[in-house]
Amino acid sequence: MNQMTHPAPPALFSIRDLRLSFADRAHKPLFGPAPRVEVLKGLSLDIPEGRITGIVGESGSGKSTFGRILVRLLAPESGQVLFDGKDIGALDEAALRPLRRDLQMIFQDPMSSLNPRHRVWRIIAQPMKRYGRGGDRAAAITALEKVGLSGQFADRYPHELSGGQRQRVGIARAIALEPRFILADEIVSGLDVSSQAQVLSLLADLARDMGLTLAFISHDLSVIRHLCDTVVVLHHGEIVDQGPVEDVFEHPRSAITKSLLSAIPRPEMDESWWDDMSEPA
Amino acid sequence: MTMTTAHAHTLDIINLNIALPRGQRLLRNVSLQLEPGEVRALVGESGAGKSMIGKAVLGILPHRIKRTEGEILLEGAHLNVMTPATRRNTVAKMSALIPQDPLTALNPVRKIGPQITDPLTRIHGWSHQRALARARELLDRVHIRAPDRVMHSYPHELSGGMRQRILIAAAFAPSPRLIVADEPTTALDVTVQKQILRLIRELQRETGTAVLFVTHDMGVVAKISQKVTVLFAGRVIEDAATRTVFENPAHPYTQALIAATPTPNVSAEPFQPVPAALITELHRETLAADALYAQRGRR
Amino acid sequence: MADVSTNSPRLILTDTNFRLWLPLFWIGLIAAAALFAPLIAPQDPLAQDLMMERLPPFFMEGSAPGYWLGTDSLGRDVLSRIIYGARIALFVSLIAATTTGIFGSALGLIAGYYGGWADRVISRLVDIWMAFPPVLFAVLLVAVMGTGLGSVIAAIALIDWTRFARVIRAETMVQARMDYVDSARIGGARRAATLVSEILPNVMPSIIALLMLEMGIAVIVEAILSFVNLSISSDDPTWGSMIAEGRGAIHFAWWVLLFPLIALFMTVLSFSTLGEGLKQHFDPVLK
Repeated sequence: MNQMTHPAPPALFSIRDLRLSFADRAHKPLFGPAPRVEVLKGLSLDIPEGRITGIVGESGSGKSTFGRILVRLLAPESGQVLFDGKDIGALDEAALRPLRRDLQMIFQDPMSSLNPRHRVWRIIAQPMKRYGRGGDRAAAITALEKVGLSGQFADRYPHELSGGQRQRVGIARAIALEPRFILADEIVSGLDVSSQAQVLSLLADLARDMGLTLAFISHDLSVIRHLCDTVVVLHHGEIVDQGPVEDVFEHPRSAITKSLLSAIPRPEMDESWWDDMSEPA
Repeated sequence: MTMTTAHAHTLDIINLNIALPRGQRLLRNVSLQLEPGEVRALVGESGAGKSMIGKAVLGILPHRIKRTEGEILLEGAHLNVMTPATRRNTVAKMSALIPQDPLTALNPVRKIGPQITDPLTRIHGWSHQRALARARELLDRVHIRAPDRVMHSYPHELSGGMRQRILIAAAFAPSPRLIVADEPTTALDVTVQKQILRLIRELQRETGTAVLFVTHDMGVVAKISQKVTVLFAGRVIEDAATRTVFENPAHPYTQALIAATPTPNVSAEPFQPVPAALITELHRETLAADALYAQRGRR
Repeated sequence: MADVSTNSPRLILTDTNFRLWLPLFWIGLIAAAALFAPLIAPQDPLAQDLMMERLPPFFMEGSAPGYWLGTDSLGRDVLSRIIYGARIALFVSLIAATTTGIFGSALGLIAGYYGGWADRVISRLVDIWMAFPPVLFAVLLVAVMGTGLGSVIAAIALIDWTRFARVIRAETMVQARMDYVDSARIGGARRAATLVSEILPNVMPSIIALLMLEMGIAVIVEAILSFVNLSISSDDPTWGSMIAEGRGAIHFAWWVLLFPLIALFMTVLSFSTLGEGLKQHFDPVLK
């Protein structure tokens, strides 16, 4: 699943000093604007083409927000977001629409990411229609087969599928457009261990076969280790570690990465796991 | 409260069968024992029935579950032959629950303090002072700074990790004999999970409480438990000491679950999905067990 | 994977019986009566015959054949008048409820989805509008516009749209936060198209439930207006006017009041439960 690269591949995304803050309405005074909470505090990184980049952090690290900026569900406040050399940060909806075909996403919650009132084939085919890339039932079935689901799933409704199957439909929908980039936002977090492994190996195979660039958001370092080529560690809106996966995992530079790694309970007997003192939050 | 002969076990589950009204079984002949002060992990994938066991013991099964067979003994008391009121009373006095979701487990319109002290005064008959003192003591014990301020706060003012620690404090406050921990760390960050696991481990050693720890994560099982019960489709697949299970797993399904758990070890094998053939075989065994059960005319 | 709604079929059937099939049966009956009134009404609803006045219903002594539910003090057949009254009740409720439903839901969808100043304007409008006492408002409107079915329909439509706007706005806001809406955006959908093709189907069960409820309310409002003689001005029978007339005769001809009252009650009850029944029937399967 990992590919050791030799010459560094070109960067599909080039991000410089990305910042975003939200208004904290919960603490809004009676008169005056709500105080702003900085979610992304100046991120700078490259996402190499054709590789799987992991974005890891705990809740509140800003990883999901960052991912949504990559696919322009959110707009950055300041900073540069270059996609294939073009700054997509400031584009409006009309200018973005033709680009959206190349910026696809797979969502975390398989229950809410598929419209419960649409049949599976329609869910997959609709984006294809919008971009003039076919989008009939046959095309949807082709996509389903690519993710290991037989044609009989085409006429079903999402509630008739298991969590793992729904996630695979989500993957089918994303790859049907043959995009250049896919954001996978915690796509296995709600799945059983065995479904998890299936979905991840499916994703890795597809990425390799189709030459996709993938950004994989997760809080689970173990999953990142097995799937990703490079990893970016976020903490409170800042990058605290980044690099090839082996590097970061074997020689973590930041204390955050170290504490994340040491907190993982491995399925083996090891009393020393309890030994380090982690301060209470 | 009916006491039979003094039992060595805190919890005894004997041939527990739980079925839906149509007869479809959710738990199939589950038996296990819990020694005093022991942590037993109930592990399996979703639908394996691990939560159901805890709920059956505490008497909080969903209403649609119509048929329950088998025996449950809590410190020797036969829960299944008691009247509902006696059973509720017994269970309330001797056990507690640490739930999965700290957000919905706390009443959003009541302050934290009463939510901890109320069971102590109402169920255990403590005086208000004693309950308050114990609440403060435990909040301190779970590393909550400014316990008085927290006791006067509402749940939504606190973080998820804090809420889970409050629930742990509340569960351990009366030093119950048994705690059912229903996936208490599933929704938490990994560093918070470690703190919570540490807390549970320390507190249960101090109070001598036995813990039934429900989880789907084999890593957590390895760290927190002394004994483990592996479940599939409501059946016990393996039941052994944790050390044995990890050093020498007997059943291929257990091995498969361990192999499917991702680890960050750079040199380790990539994790593998549970082989489909194994699942098919397990389903076949389940159907065979059901046929046998039906034949015995227990329907 | 099997859907999980079939755990206790017997229980669900009973619930569905009361909430779906019985109301549907009654409303079907009423609708048939309304449609085929000239064919099934045993007598002419307007025919007065003072020789046949105040005859009791068929199960009592002194009744006349062909006048199943008796006659009123002008000799008019109660059953036939109820059947013809169903026409007006259903006509008014259908048109009024649909008009107000479409208008209110549209505003609710826009307010919930677009937010911002559209939401603020619509919500303020709803707040102000709801401050008027509804029935009083209806009476005033009809008094101003003149009596007649058109006025009655307009009155109901103008008053009750706020119910739809509020509920549908809330539902829309919930759906708008769902990932499948974001997914449509990622898939290149335009904003307005997303509202119609993604959100509307998910909000439809609530719209239909409210529509049924609204039809029941419309029947009642029409009955109230005809009770106070503010509905249609002709001799055409309405349940409300029958009840008004029946009040005077209650001691010696109670059937003149009771049967239209039962018809009214059953119809409104059926609409109310049908709304919930339809929603329940279609929703759990899809959740």
